[in-house]
Amino acid sequence: MYSTELLIQTLISGVMIGVLYALMALGITFIYSIVRMINWAMGEFYMLGSYIQYVAVAYVLGRNYWWLAILISTAGTFLIGYLLEPLLIKPMHVRPMERRDDYATVVTIALLLMLRSLAVAIGGPYQYRPETNLPIMWVGPLPMEGARVMASVFALFALALFYVVISKTWIGLALRAMAQNRVAAQTSGVDVFRFDAIAFAIGVALAGLAGALLAPLFLVYPTNGAVTTVKGFEIIVIGGLGSIPGALIGGVLLGVVESLGAAFISSPYQNAYGFALVLLILLVRPYGLFGERGREA
Amino acid sequence: MNRRGLLVAIAAATLTASSALAQEPIVFGVITPLSPPGETGLGQLVKRGSEIAVEYLNEKGGVLGRKVAISIQDSAGKNEQAVAAYRRLVTNEKAVAVFGFIHSGANIAVNEVAKEIGVPTMGTQTGAGDVTAKRYDIAFRTHAVDPPRAATWLGWAKKNGFKRMSIIAETTDYGIGLAKATEAQNKSMNIGLEIQTIMFDRTTTDLLPQLLQVKAFNPDCIINVGVGQPLDLMITQATTIGLLPKVPMVTSYDAPARPQHWQLHKEQGVGVHFIAFYTNKAKLSDVGEWFAKKYQEKFNEPPVYAALNAFANALVFAQAIEMAKTTEPKAMIKALETGSFKGWSSVPVTFPQAEGSLWHNWSPPLMILKYTKQGQTQSEAEVAHTLGEN
Repeated sequence: MYSTELLIQTLISGVMIGVLYALMALGITFIYSIVRMINWAMGEFYMLGSYIQYVAVAYVLGRNYWWLAILISTAGTFLIGYLLEPLLIKPMHVRPMERRDDYATVVTIALLLMLRSLAVAIGGPYQYRPETNLPIMWVGPLPMEGARVMASVFALFALALFYVVISKTWIGLALRAMAQNRVAAQTSGVDVFRFDAIAFAIGVALAGLAGALLAPLFLVYPTNGAVTTVKGFEIIVIGGLGSIPGALIGGVLLGVVESLGAAFISSPYQNAYGFALVLLILLVRPYGLFGERGREA
Repeated sequence: MNRRGLLVAIAAATLTASSALAQEPIVFGVITPLSPPGETGLGQLVKRGSEIAVEYLNEKGGVLGRKVAISIQDSAGKNEQAVAAYRRLVTNEKAVAVFGFIHSGANIAVNEVAKEIGVPTMGTQTGAGDVTAKRYDIAFRTHAVDPPRAATWLGWAKKNGFKRMSIIAETTDYGIGLAKATEAQNKSMNIGLEIQTIMFDRTTTDLLPQLLQVKAFNPDCIINVGVGQPLDLMITQATTIGLLPKVPMVTSYDAPARPQHWQLHKEQGVGVHFIAFYTNKAKLSDVGEWFAKKYQEKFNEPPVYAALNAFANALVFAQAIEMAKTTEPKAMIKALETGSFKGWSSVPVTFPQAEGSLWHNWSPPLMILKYTKQGQTQSEAEVAHTLGEN
């Protein structure tokens, strides 16, 4: 039963889900690097992206334009993030505050509960599934939903685009400057509050994109983002906080470890294998595979 | 009777009526999953059924001359939330009976508290043996337990000459119980069936690794023991890797009976088999007929089992109270154990003090239905097998 074919199929499946996990992790790590806060509501932006995808495909565009719906979902979550940041996050930087981390935690958990309740109130507790016109595709020996293959392709493209924007554009330069030294960036003329909003919006848009991409596969319902948020944090520990390659490699590693563990060790502990990997990394390299060792005065 | 006697009688009647009106209503508690990760689809059906039950009981003059009310609490399929809801219902709302359970784990957890507090519970659609097998006085159920359910799909496999069966089950009381019951009965039946059992955590978002193992096993049939989202995910992903529709899949409960099945699965939903407890060809009692008509009027669709069962649970408790002439828990339990009650089915509901999981358990008929065309309703589905057929 444990054939080479099963091993290859499981590896492919793990890599493909890992790329999608990476999107989530990238959003969390990016927001942390720039805005200096953990967004606990990332899963709810994933959920928002999936709902926008469903509404756009089911009621407006139709299944043939699923790809356009993905762009709309990403833009939609970007816009929501851009509008919410000045209301919820900016006060943390504007007003003198002793416990910024506590403030960010409370605000984003409140946002999580509000968005989840809103989804239940509007769409009910039911599951939905946006359609696509993609046929089943073969990846090596493994037949896969076209939506899954395209989701991985979109995710890789988004990661590459993100890399180019961050490393090659003026906006990216400003964001990187803020990540290194917020005060110095402000002194150099960077409008840090506007870029906070942009960074927050980009981060949540990555989660929204993941939600839209995975909606045809893992369905749309009010708590569908909960598990992916946990995976996002696991990947950050594995790959290293603030590292783009770390998010990608960490995501793929997590996906592969979970899939192989479920297939070849014991299926009920699929989620536990990821935690075991996290523990291992914390023991061997506490700052993550691609993270930088912290300096203490 | 002279004029003075008549006046006294009228005054007495008025006083009695006004005191009845002033009495608090009898409250039935409903604990059911209304938000994820619970099986919210069934929770909604339970809500519908219990609300119609209250309408019916109050139309008929209430219970012991008192109005009936329900308090619906969301368990979200979580044990701790269900236990908190039970405590709230009994202490704050003064509920005299609690039903509506869908998740076995939640029902079992509540029973552990209920056995101390004493207010009886009734499993509406909870299948795990331990819901009643612990022989608690307070624990009742009107649903098929693990052994007959396992016997149904094993009988179906035998009828079709299947040699290899894969069971993919969640690691809950429900999933573990069904997997164990199937393996145990397969051994005792000795039908030459090789069984592959794969368990999964119900929070898992991707079941592809598990389904790839199933594919490698090359089974003749698959038993899908997921509840809610994992059940649907399994149908979708099994179709993708070519297991469905080639290998028939039976879902362990009647989730595909809901219209949502076709919204989620479209053409993938054809060929899906499912365990069912009711079809519109089933003979209903007079109250069952009343309910079916009312449900159709209200929701413009035929009634589904979970709604019928929730309706019947409320009626059974109401009849037990009438029989005991009190809402005192011990007297109600005695009435439930000794009485015969009218439910949705033409078969009377009784709760024998039987062995094992059949303790305080009334079981509906069991069958496997199969969709042969897209968009079919449960009543249009083909009956693939009935328990006891072979």
